Amino acid sequence: MEKEYNMTINRLPAKTWNWLRMNETQLEKIEVPTAGGVKVSLPEKITTVENEGSQPWNADFAGIPSGMGEDMDGLLTAAGVKAQHYEVSEETTEAQPLLLDYTYVQNSLQAGAVAVRARKNSEITVIQDFASDRETSGQAAVSTRLHLEEGAKIRLIQIQRLGNGFTFMNDIGALCEEKASLEVIQLILGGKNTYLGCKTTLQGRESSLNADTAYIVGGDGRLDMNYVAVHEGKKTQSNMQAGGVLRDHAFKLYRGTIDFKWGAKGAVGNEKEDVLLLSNDVVNQTIPLILCAEEDVEGNHGATIGKLDDELLLYLESRGMNREQIYEMMAMAKVDAVCRKIPDAATRAKVQEFLGRAGEEEEAEE
Amino acid sequence: MSEREKTYVEDVNRSIYDIRNEEKDVYRIQKGLTPAIVEEISAKKNDPAWMANFRLQSLQIYNEMEVPDWGPSIEGLNMEDIVTYVKPNTHMSAKWSEVPEDIKDTFEKLGIPQAERKSLAGVGAQYDSELVYHNVREEVAAQGVVYTDMESALNGEYADMVRKHFMKLVPPRDHKFAALHGAVWSGGSFVYVPPGVSVTIPLQSYFRLNAPGAGQFEHTLIIVDEGAYLHFIEGCSAPKYNVANLHAGCVELFVGKNAKLRYSTIENWSKNMYNLNTKRALVEEGGTIEWVSGSFGSHVSYLYPMSVLNGKGARAEFTGITFAGAGQNLDTGTKVVHNAPETTSYINTKSISKDGGISTFRSSVVVKNSAAKSKSAVSCQSLMLDDKSRSDTIPAMDIRTQDADIGHEAKIGRISDEAVFYLMSRGISEEDARAMIVSGFADNVSKELPLEYAVEMNNLIRLEMKGSIG
Repeated sequence: MEKEYNMTINRLPAKTWNWLRMNETQLEKIEVPTAGGVKVSLPEKITTVENEGSQPWNADFAGIPSGMGEDMDGLLTAAGVKAQHYEVSEETTEAQPLLLDYTYVQNSLQAGAVAVRARKNSEITVIQDFASDRETSGQAAVSTRLHLEEGAKIRLIQIQRLGNGFTFMNDIGALCEEKASLEVIQLILGGKNTYLGCKTTLQGRESSLNADTAYIVGGDGRLDMNYVAVHEGKKTQSNMQAGGVLRDHAFKLYRGTIDFKWGAKGAVGNEKEDVLLLSNDVVNQTIPLILCAEEDVEGNHGATIGKLDDELLLYLESRGMNREQIYEMMAMAKVDAVCRKIPDAATRAKVQEFLGRAGEEEEAEE
Repeated sequence: MSEREKTYVEDVNRSIYDIRNEEKDVYRIQKGLTPAIVEEISAKKNDPAWMANFRLQSLQIYNEMEVPDWGPSIEGLNMEDIVTYVKPNTHMSAKWSEVPEDIKDTFEKLGIPQAERKSLAGVGAQYDSELVYHNVREEVAAQGVVYTDMESALNGEYADMVRKHFMKLVPPRDHKFAALHGAVWSGGSFVYVPPGVSVTIPLQSYFRLNAPGAGQFEHTLIIVDEGAYLHFIEGCSAPKYNVANLHAGCVELFVGKNAKLRYSTIENWSKNMYNLNTKRALVEEGGTIEWVSGSFGSHVSYLYPMSVLNGKGARAEFTGITFAGAGQNLDTGTKVVHNAPETTSYINTKSISKDGGISTFRSSVVVKNSAAKSKSAVSCQSLMLDDKSRSDTIPAMDIRTQDADIGHEAKIGRISDEAVFYLMSRGISEEDARAMIVSGFADNVSKELPLEYAVEMNNLIRLEMKGSIG
C-alpha cells in the first residue's frame, strides 16, 4: 500500500485566475491513514446496513458527489475504509440523535466514513463530534454521505474540538429528493489545518438546504472550505451562511457556490459570509460564486469582512468595555449564534467547555 | 391561459458598424507569429533598438506561456491564421481632408469627426494597425497637454518617458496575450497631462479594425501628473467576417498624486472578434481612477480593467455593463489591489444575457497588509432574459489587514414580477413596464457617460420590448 498520497480537493466549480490560488487546494504527501473507530450511540429507530462490497460506499451512495471531491474517496480507498451505513425507515421520526463520537489521541492517523439514508418522510438528527485533547497532534479524515428521500429531513451537526496540532479533513456529500430538507450546523473550533467540503445536490422539487457554519481560527491555523449547493429541481432553496473570527496568523479560504442548473425554475439561493479579522497577520480569502443557467431563479450573495462597525464599537465602549473585550465578545457571539441551533444540550455543553466557558450556558438559562 | 410570451430584447443594431471597406494597396504582413514577422514589424515601424529587442523577448515569453485554463474557450483562435500587422496606404494626418475617402467615410458614419467638433478636446483614429488621424485642440496643447500616437512618442521628445513606462504596469509575463501584445503592438495613443492641468473636455481614441483575419494591438499610455484631470474615451468597432479577428490591446494608466483620470470605453467589436485586452491603472496618493466600461461586441471577451491603489487615499471606481447575446461569451469584470492605507474602491456592474449569450462577471479585490483603513464595496447584478442563456458571477476577495471594511453583494435573476405589477398599478402597460425595467437596469452605466456617448450606448442596446408577460 502507498504510504503517501497526493490530493487535489475543494475545487471551485468554475475556475478563476490561478494567481489567486483559490481554484483548488493541493495536499501533497498526505500520510495514508488506517480505518479508525467511532463510538456510536444508536437510537432505537435507526438501523445499520451492511456494507456490501469492497469499496468505501454501497452503490447507492457512491454516486453522490462531495465537496472535497473524488480524491477524498481515493484516500478512503487507500486507507481501506468501509463506510458505516445507517438508515431510518419511512414515515419515522427519531427524536434521539445518532451520536458519532470520534475521539483522537496523540499522533492519530485515522480515516472514517458514514452514510445515512433517510427514507421517505423520515426525520433524524446526526451529531458528529470530532475531539482530541487540546495539545494533541495527528491527522484524521471523515467522509459523510447523506441520501434524503422524498420529504425526509436530516439535521447534521458537526463539532470540531481538535488539538492545535491536528490536520482534519471533513467531507460531506448529500442528495435531496423531492421536498427533502437538509440542515447542516458546523462549529469549527479547534485543529491546526482543516479542510472542509460540503456539496448538496437539490435534485427533487422543493428540496432545501440550510447550512450554518461558525469558526474560530487562530495561531497559524488554516481553514479551507468548499460549499456547493446544486439546484437541479424546481423551487429548490439553499441558504448557506458562514461566519467566524480569524486571529494571530490564521488563514481562511471560503469557497461558496450556488449552482442553478437549467430547469431549476423558481429556485432561490442565498449565501452570506461575515468574517471578523482580529489581527493584521491573518489572511482571509472569500470567493462566493453564483452560476446560473436558468432564467427563473433568484440568487443572492453577500460578504462583510474586516473590522467591527464604528458605531457599534462606540456604543459598546460607551458601556465601559475596552476594544479587546468587545472583539472577544463578538467572536463568541458568532459561535453562540450557531451553537444555539444545536438541539442537544450535552453537545452544546461540550462546545462551551472547549471554549473554556463551562457552565455559562446553564447560568444564562437560570 | 395562452403560453406566456417571453420578453424580447432586440440584438444590438450593427448596421453602422458592419461597413466593410475593400482593401486597396494595404500592406499585410504574412499570417502567423515568428521572430521574422516580429522583426519585420519592428523594421516597418522604425523601432529603437530597445523596442526591437523588447518585441523579441515578448515573443519568447508568449511561446513559453500557456493559454488561460479558467475562462471562455479560445480554441477558435489560431495564431497561424492571424495577420498581426496591416498598414493602410496612408500616413497619419491632423486633417480629416487628408485621410483617404473610404476610411474617412467610415469614421464619418461612426460619428467621430462630428463628435470631435462638438465635444472633444482631441481625437485619434486608428484604422487596422496604424493611426490615420490624430489631432488635439490648440488651446489644450497650449496647456502643455501631449496627445499623440505611440510611434511619434516613442521616437520623439517623449521617448524617455515612454521607455520608462511602456509595459511596466502590464509586463509581458502578466499573461500570454500581454506577451503577444509586447511582440506585435502597433498604434495607439500617448497622453501626458502636466501637473495641475485640467482637461475639461474629453480626448477620444477610436480603433477600427477593417481587415478580415487580422489582429489589432494598439497600446495606450496615459500619464496624468500631480493634481491634473483628464477624461479619456476609447471606442472600438469592426465589421463582421467569417474568420476570427483578434484584439489584444494594452492600456497603461499612470495617475499621479491627487490626479484624476476617467477612462470610458464603449466596446462594440464584431461577433467574430476575440477580445483579449488588458487595461491597468497605477494610482498614487490621493489620486482617482474611474473606469466606465460598456461591453457589447466580440465573440469572446476577456476584459478586467485593474486598479493598483499605490498611494495613501487613492481611489478607484468601476462602473460596467455587459450585454451578451447570441454567440457571445463575454467574461468581464475588474481587479483592484489596495496597496496603501485609506484606499477605497467601488465596483458596480450590470450584465444582461439573452439568446444563448454567456455573461460572466469576474473580479478580485486584494487588500494587502499595508492597506489599513481601506474600504471596498462591490455590487454586481445580472439579468437573465431567457433560459437559453447563462450568467455566472465569480468574485474573489483576499483581505490581509484587520483594519479593513469590505462589502460585497451580488444578485442574479429575471425581471421582477413585483416591479412590473407596481408600474402597471400606476397605469403603465405591461409591455412598457418591462421595457422600462430593462432600460433602467442599464441606465446607471449610461448616466456615467457624456451625453453623446450615452445616446450611442442606448442606440447600441436598442432595447425593443415585445410581448406582455415575461
